[in-house]
Amino acid sequence: MKRLAILSLACCLICFWGAPALAITPEAQPKVITSASKNVVEIGLSYSGDKIFFFGVNPAPGADVVIKLTAEKEEAVKLSVKGKVGPLWMTVKQYEVTNSPFIYKLHTSKPLDQIVSKETAQELELGYDAVRGKMKLHLIRGEAAPEDEETVWKGLLKIKERATLYNIVEDPARLEISEGKLFKHYFRFPPAATEGRYQVESFCFQKGELVGYGKDIIEIKKVGLEHWLTQTSQNQPVFFGIMAVVIAVAAGLLVGVLFGKGGHH
Amino acid sequence: MEIYLPIAGISINFFLILGCGGLVGFLSGLFGVGGGFLLTPLMMMIGIPPAVAAASDSNQIVAAASSGAFAHWRLGNVDFKMGLVILAGGIFGGTIGVQLVKVLRAMGNFEFVMTVVYVLMLGLVGGAMFVESLRTIRRSKGATAEAVMAAPASESGLTRLFNKLPLKMNFHRSGLNTSAIFPFTIGTTVGIMAAILGVGGGFIMVPAMIYIIGMPTIAAIGTDLFQIVLTSANVTLQQAMVNHTVDLLLALILLSGSTIGAQFGAVAGKRLKGEQIRILLAIIVLALTVKLFLDLVLTPSDLVSLAPAKGGGH
Repeated sequence: MKRLAILSLACCLICFWGAPALAITPEAQPKVITSASKNVVEIGLSYSGDKIFFFGVNPAPGADVVIKLTAEKEEAVKLSVKGKVGPLWMTVKQYEVTNSPFIYKLHTSKPLDQIVSKETAQELELGYDAVRGKMKLHLIRGEAAPEDEETVWKGLLKIKERATLYNIVEDPARLEISEGKLFKHYFRFPPAATEGRYQVESFCFQKGELVGYGKDIIEIKKVGLEHWLTQTSQNQPVFFGIMAVVIAVAAGLLVGVLFGKGGHH
Repeated sequence: MEIYLPIAGISINFFLILGCGGLVGFLSGLFGVGGGFLLTPLMMMIGIPPAVAAASDSNQIVAAASSGAFAHWRLGNVDFKMGLVILAGGIFGGTIGVQLVKVLRAMGNFEFVMTVVYVLMLGLVGGAMFVESLRTIRRSKGATAEAVMAAPASESGLTRLFNKLPLKMNFHRSGLNTSAIFPFTIGTTVGIMAAILGVGGGFIMVPAMIYIIGMPTIAAIGTDLFQIVLTSANVTLQQAMVNHTVDLLLALILLSGSTIGAQFGAVAGKRLKGEQIRILLAIIVLALTVKLFLDLVLTPSDLVSLAPAKGGGH
């Protein structure tokens, strides 16, 4: 009994401590009515990314708008860091990075630091500083150094931006708000954005206070041959492997026969 | 024309892949190398994840090599008996090699070790071939192409030594009567190397068959292609089963390019003299050595990179 009492007391304490950190609950805000030009993206043979338009109604006229695209899945990536050993460059340490979003795109109607305070941005995970703050590094191999956090973050950002999985656009022209009410913009889903569920969150701020929140879910899925190949390779790997070999040998011999006949004049 | 590769999970230009396949297929038909040592880095350069690149390359090598092997078989260049003996050694060596890779990986920096071994190996093989072919070309000035093609590589001291070993076999096509222990040992050695370097091993196997076993260049190439078909078929199956990294669509486009390229390669190989083929291969090998060496010593443009996912080469 005594132990239980201590435990519940501890729980209460944690709740009290935890409470201020969750001061802003987006879901409790007035709903921002949004609409997407489509909610399902199909990956077919000629898929090379997609562009989806989003429309929304600003609940408080004139409010600033911030829209964030993230994936529902979190990812853990392993990164190698190179260093110089004698005259040679080699991997000197490896980090596993967790709590970093797979995709992170942000559109704002004006520079983010003019819309919200640093604290709010951190809390709602808006901006690269917030992403960086949430990211966790786990050293797998090698010796940690103080500058590693900086190096790994910059490296990860470079990799992600190159694949256009991360970007931030703080441009009123890109996120149009007609007469302070109706806002419209588009997100480009890069081809690197694979199957899964993605969320587009719209935040409306007035004088730094969150006054509205809306959320759209976009689903990306493979169809047709793409779907069949992915499924078969995962669920029937033996069949898939044999099929791959048989097709390869058949193709090789077929070309051999064709060319063999042609070449024997 | 963009195409989406389901397993690699990227969208890429169709003709870029076809072209890469064609180029490597041509070299494969010409030299009898599987092309893995060129294609895997090439695929990684255009953005295919390393594990998928390696596994899908094995798959297309099955096609390129069977096409090449077929062409060489028609031309009478495949020594099946020799191929099977080497293959037996290759499978044995490959199994040992995979275990070695496992140990090296656990120790860390496998990729670095691989690059260093690559530089040393390729530099040695390329350099030796280059010097030897140059010497042959100088010596045979004036001799007819037929005479050079027919003449087996000069009997080395090693060849004579291995002639004295037991388990003698007659390799009719290669015009050799030598001990089976010998090609088996070479198969084993190359199998170990191939597993560590993550390639088919043709670029080590062919010189070994020519310079150590003493086979004629063209028979070495045909026979090597024959054993590559079986080795890479095995690797493709393993990769599909264990790592799910074989992108059939990618492999199909690559093999469309490479099977056609291989035919042109085989024909070009017939036109060129043995030592001309060897000097070309030597130049390519040396160029790759220089590139890899520079990778080791120059400051990399990206200090941080995505660590390769599990999955080996071929």
